[in-house]
Amino acid sequence: MKRLFRGLGLGALGCLLLASAGLMGAARAEDEIRIGAIYPLTGAAAGTGVELKAAAELAAAIVNKEIPLPGNLAAGAGMPNLKGAKIKLIFGDHQGNPQVGATEAERLITQEHVVALIGCYFSNVTATASQVAERYGVPFLNASSSSTPLTERGFKWFFRTSPHDDLFVANFYDFLKAVEQKKGVQLRKLALFNENTLWGGETTKIEVKLAEEQGFTVAEKILYPAKSTQMTSEVQRLKAADPQVLMQSSYLGDAILSMKTYKELGFAPPMVLANDAGFSDSEYLKTLGKDGNFVLSREVWALDLADRNPLIKQVNDLMKGRNGVNLNGNSARVFTGVAVLADAINRAGSTQPEAIRKALQETNIPADQIIMPWKGIKFDEKGQNSLGTGIIVQVQNEQYRTVWPFDIATADIVYPFPKWEGR
Amino acid sequence: MDRLTLVKRILGLAVLIVALGFPLIVTQPTMVNFAILILMAAQLGVAWNILGGYAGQVSLGHAVFYGIGAYTSSVLAAKFGLSPWLGMLAGGAIASGFALLIGWPCFRLKGHYFAMATLAIAAIVEVLVTNWDYVEGAIGIYLPMTNSGWAGMVFTRSKTPYFYIALGLLLLSLLVSRILQKSYIGYYFRAIKEDPDAARSLGINLARYKLVAIAASAFLTAMGGTLYAQKELFIDPGSVLAGSLSIKIALIAILGGVGTLFGPVVGALVLIAIEEFTRQIFGSTGMGTDMIIYGGIIVIIAMFSPGGIAGLLGEWERAWRARRKLVYTPPGDGI
Repeated sequence: MKRLFRGLGLGALGCLLLASAGLMGAARAEDEIRIGAIYPLTGAAAGTGVELKAAAELAAAIVNKEIPLPGNLAAGAGMPNLKGAKIKLIFGDHQGNPQVGATEAERLITQEHVVALIGCYFSNVTATASQVAERYGVPFLNASSSSTPLTERGFKWFFRTSPHDDLFVANFYDFLKAVEQKKGVQLRKLALFNENTLWGGETTKIEVKLAEEQGFTVAEKILYPAKSTQMTSEVQRLKAADPQVLMQSSYLGDAILSMKTYKELGFAPPMVLANDAGFSDSEYLKTLGKDGNFVLSREVWALDLADRNPLIKQVNDLMKGRNGVNLNGNSARVFTGVAVLADAINRAGSTQPEAIRKALQETNIPADQIIMPWKGIKFDEKGQNSLGTGIIVQVQNEQYRTVWPFDIATADIVYPFPKWEGR
Repeated sequence: MDRLTLVKRILGLAVLIVALGFPLIVTQPTMVNFAILILMAAQLGVAWNILGGYAGQVSLGHAVFYGIGAYTSSVLAAKFGLSPWLGMLAGGAIASGFALLIGWPCFRLKGHYFAMATLAIAAIVEVLVTNWDYVEGAIGIYLPMTNSGWAGMVFTRSKTPYFYIALGLLLLSLLVSRILQKSYIGYYFRAIKEDPDAARSLGINLARYKLVAIAASAFLTAMGGTLYAQKELFIDPGSVLAGSLSIKIALIAILGGVGTLFGPVVGALVLIAIEEFTRQIFGSTGMGTDMIIYGGIIVIIAMFSPGGIAGLLGEWERAWRARRKLVYTPPGDGI
């Protein structure tokens, strides 16, 4: 009897492997343009990954004219130069692991025959996956990894639409100085609290460097593992340092955990200045509710920008209708990334990698055709979009409000960060 | 030599020939990459098995040695232009040295406490490297893609050379395992594993032979780390020093069958296959289905075959021999 069970167990295993081999060889249509998208669809960042996937699919649906979109959105043009061919996104899951990212990139290129790749959110996964694309000579568009060295590698096939960390961190100090002037306060004593992968580690370096250059002092600097399950000792150290500004770079799980820990330990520095990512994920407010209020965050995007740009509202309504969530800085960038790829492939009029690469290099999309607060999209010789800029938002009444630059702000900044007891 | 042993030898030879010819027949890069992942995982499992299987000292911190191997060769290559082949040996030597350093106090701990100590050391090293600017801390080290060729151990056009390097490392690890297993040291290992007190009373220097095991295991694991760095051309603490990696290394050997020569190879084959197939089929849905199935299969194997897959095969072999009224083979010898 026991032996029978064992046999059944092993048999089931065998069947599964066979079934998977069969599925992998499934047939595909000829007139579609296949684009690979690699995102963290399982693991700690799965919440974000699923949203990025939805945004990419929305962009693809608009390009394919499955959804009519009024206005002059770049993606709305479709593929007239390719006889209205449809784009098809093939998703890969990198699980937050650089080796898996590289494996998925290779699989999508060689097995799924994608003509371009987009990904990977995590900077260290983008590092390995884009190397695979470079080896195979396939265009790789990165929409949301901000690690500066990614565009310093001299790659021929790598393009990044989002601004990078150097620029974002420079924005922080411009912002702090502007607030000092406006509110007549001092914001010179900083504590840095960043996750310890490529992105957080590098942000820390630039923050320290620019702080020195611009006359700020770093009173405490903590790098923590992004998969932490408790942060009590770290937060106690931050509390002891008593900073005027807490500058934080966190992914989703750790952003939520840190806010819970601040509340628990009554840690409320005058300003909490976060660095996008976890703090701009829609799960953040869904989980924390009003406890997520008053955090300031560097952003590339905010929903209230729709007040000035009607395209944003239109795209957001579509996203909300299809997926029940609003766009955010991450999903808006991925949406834009897919739109930029589609625009380039259409202009190339071909699915040849070299033609697409050349078209990407010649990209010139004006500000009024995108849903980002950028001056447009135009790549420099390193493949970096030279027209990107950042903004600062604050969570007020569980909504992200643009508070800086002051001339495009939709709300006044709430300062200082209120104590937890009085809320 | 009885019939079964003969069959096993022929089978082994056939597997080796197939392995050697694999990249010549299969040219699909994803399949070659898949095979490389299996070989790399198998090599780590075999290396872990020397310490965790034969000597019975379960380590949950082997990523440390892997990371030392990856970092040593990468730093030497990036900063001093040293060939990764020499870097691989240097990494192995440093990992062995580090293993002796931590082995000396840790082997005073018995049973589970040794495993806990290795877990803690691995976590400490990950944090230290993350904050160590000389090795680029959290940013990690980028290795240049130029200089493709055997001298620099970088191959940008074809993955076949990586396949043979991985296969070579696996064969080397199997050879070292086999030599240790068949020598007097192997018997000491087994004595230490089965009953440390009895072994000591027979005059075996427990600490010395445990140190031999950890040094050999660390050296081979570090060589695997160098190969990883050269294959992916980017390392950071999250990819070569992560706690999940330590667990995976142990899991390969445990799933396949601890203390058997080929157990970890079988374990790697099964584990990587499950990992890759579940992710490719179910991963893109974003529902986490792949992880559920991955976990489920491991649970099934663990439930029905606590001795690992090799243990199961060993049991079948004993049953077969018993039916044929042949001599009894002791458990633990596996396939």
